[in-house]
Amino acid sequence: MAAVTTARSDALPALLTASEVAKSFGTVVALRSADLAVRPGEIHALLGANGAGKSTLVKILAGVIPADAGTIHLNGARIHPRRPADATAAGVATVFQDPALIPDLTIDRNLRLIAVDPGRIRSWLDRLGLGDLDFDAMVRDVPLPILRLLDLARALAHDPHLLVLDEITAALPADLAERVFEVMAEQRDRGRSVLFITHRLAEVLRVCDRATILRDGRHVATLTPGEGGEARLVEAMLGEVAAAVTEPPTTRERPPEAPVALEARALTSRDYLKGVSFEVRAGEILGLVALEGQGQDRLFDVLAGDRPFDGGELVVGGRPLRPRSPFDAIRSGVVLVPADRLHALLPQRSVRENLASTLYNRIGRWFSLVRDEDERVSGVIERLTIDTRAQRQARRLSGGNQQKVAVGRWLAAGFRTLLCFDPTRGIDIHTKDQIYALLRELAADGAAILYYTSELAEVPVVCDRVLVMYDGRIVHEQPAAAAEERVLLGAAHGLEAAS
Amino acid sequence: MTAVAVPSGQAAIRWRRWLVRHGWTVGVWVLLVGLIAWYSTLIPRFGNFTMASIAKNSLPTAYLAIAQAVVVIAGGLDLGVGGMMVLANATSALLMEGEGFGMTLLIAAAVIGGAALANGIVGWVIVTSRVPDIVVTLATLFIFSGIGLMVLPSPGGGTSGGFRRIFTGSSSGVGTNYWPSLVALAVPLALVAAWLARSRRGLSLYAAGSHPIAAYLSGVDTRRAKITAYAISGALAALAGLAVTAITANGDARFNNAANGTLNSVAAVVLGGIALTGGVGSVIGAVAAGVILFVLNPILTALGINPNTSQVIQGLVIVGVMAMAGLLELRRRRTE
Repeated sequence: MAAVTTARSDALPALLTASEVAKSFGTVVALRSADLAVRPGEIHALLGANGAGKSTLVKILAGVIPADAGTIHLNGARIHPRRPADATAAGVATVFQDPALIPDLTIDRNLRLIAVDPGRIRSWLDRLGLGDLDFDAMVRDVPLPILRLLDLARALAHDPHLLVLDEITAALPADLAERVFEVMAEQRDRGRSVLFITHRLAEVLRVCDRATILRDGRHVATLTPGEGGEARLVEAMLGEVAAAVTEPPTTRERPPEAPVALEARALTSRDYLKGVSFEVRAGEILGLVALEGQGQDRLFDVLAGDRPFDGGELVVGGRPLRPRSPFDAIRSGVVLVPADRLHALLPQRSVRENLASTLYNRIGRWFSLVRDEDERVSGVIERLTIDTRAQRQARRLSGGNQQKVAVGRWLAAGFRTLLCFDPTRGIDIHTKDQIYALLRELAADGAAILYYTSELAEVPVVCDRVLVMYDGRIVHEQPAAAAEERVLLGAAHGLEAAS
Repeated sequence: MTAVAVPSGQAAIRWRRWLVRHGWTVGVWVLLVGLIAWYSTLIPRFGNFTMASIAKNSLPTAYLAIAQAVVVIAGGLDLGVGGMMVLANATSALLMEGEGFGMTLLIAAAVIGGAALANGIVGWVIVTSRVPDIVVTLATLFIFSGIGLMVLPSPGGGTSGGFRRIFTGSSSGVGTNYWPSLVALAVPLALVAAWLARSRRGLSLYAAGSHPIAAYLSGVDTRRAKITAYAISGALAALAGLAVTAITANGDARFNNAANGTLNSVAAVVLGGIALTGGVGSVIGAVAAGVILFVLNPILTALGINPNTSQVIQGLVIVGVMAMAGLLELRRRRTE
């Protein structure tokens, strides 16, 4: 790391400087000493593995939480925002990781809620290509990608000097992400700055001028992404452990005679599913790729027993299954790891309790508690290397560790078919690799896994076979190892597979 | 990517959406009109006198329903409304006795202002101390009604004829003109409903109740929203107490009245389609539900049902309506 320049030595006057910012939550130190300098007119990436302190630093800059120590200067003047409203007034507008919109109000009313002329937000929405949005729609009925852009439009309407985007592209399909990049570039060209937090290094290499990397709550490097490429960024993020990050895809041989664990035969559900057929065998990871809103959400809901299907047949372990509730599906060995980790977890309970929660089903015979609960739970913690520093409340875990707990719950209980819906969304590379390895291990042990992902690059790494869904149907199928992003993307857009 | 954009609706879609969104409010009002129509067939003479009686006597419950609705929408719960009503009733009856119309109006304004201030402080205590709303306001229920008893240990007091006319349409408190009572209800209701739906501060109450974290991150001052909600609740609870003074020309600070008022307000809010979890519902539905709860009494009496039994029936009506709503919601989600 010899070529690394530190942010503090930069001669150019900075728009925003954060020096030696520290923050602890109880005994957990989130930020030890973070430094960040953003110049006027640049797109600056903030990178780091899970738990490196990115989100904490963003929250401090945005006035959500106060720093314990350190200083923040904006345009040369020291600021200490105490509330998000203070930060926007000072010129820092943030799009947070989760939508900051009110689900029970219409879009229109949400726009009127903040102290900005709604007309300005609407003109930004026009520029983001959402001019024909139905403003009378309830926010709870609006798809997540649109909510992200609404948040972005609201932040832009403040006309901020510094626009902070925390994982905004994580939930965006490629075309919408492109619009965000365009707006970011526009801001830069006007002399405004953008602080961009993402786990997608390809995006960093493409759109960012400089990148600051945090590790363990400390500033480790500020570098120009183009120089060293992906490898150097990863090295800086991970430190010594770097080396073998993303293993090359291993071609796994699945015995062809492996029994079919789950088979969908022409499943239909309202307008969402228009006859979906596929099978996933024991020991196989079946990938599923689709653009936002092609029925993949409904398919997972149906398979997990959360919603009924109208027509077709679902065969699990050779027997037809018509689950009336998730409980029925779980009893048949079909379990779900949902996209929103907090839907799967008991956020205020401990890691151990969360892992054991799936065992509570079995207290059927009144008082015969599961005797080996402790043993099973400890086994899972060890196997998943869950960071248990914050184990008293699952909500305090980092996103990656939460996801491990979400998978781990089912390990403790046992299952045959695992449905994973975008399990690596917003998780750093290192933890992603652990999750990939875990899934492959589970498959090797005979589990059947259906794996929906919004990141095409994951397909050859994780899956054996891949399906592409478009408009409620499976339109394409191929072995995953040979899957080219170009082909998958084409099929996902409804083009005839060009292979 | 048109699949992502939400298409703009046509008139028919908008109408259906309006009905889905406001169906509960409309349903409660239909139920209220139906109950009154039914009542008119149950008694030998149903005329303006009966209408006036229903209109004025349901005022306190209706005001308390609005008071409770505003706080529940903002994500709180104000068990103190009954206590505030009793306190305002006792104070105003004591001070207004023997005074002229002008003076009674001044006293009424002072009582409303004082109540708004006092309950605003309650709201401030809640957001600052982070003690749950239900705990703090359970205490204020006792405190306010206790102060009421200190002010007026035994029932008594009075008010001016002009003041009685505002709420009851007659200086004797008994008459056949029901319009003044309806206006006395409609004006505060319209003001609160419009403010909640149109102003930024009003919307911030919904925001604070629906998703406080998202509201905070958007720059909404959720603390101020909640304090405002409690202040409005105090003002409306005081209005309920003033209505009691006007209707009865009497002050009565017995705890029974306070407790009944609070419980009815919570029942009205639930029956009126406001989610106890906050952020959902409208004050307009809560008011109709409040009047329904009042109208049930004379109906059950007219049916010759023992008053003790009628309380059971009132409870069953609330549970029955809510259970039906729950089933409908379940069916809607199943078929979606």
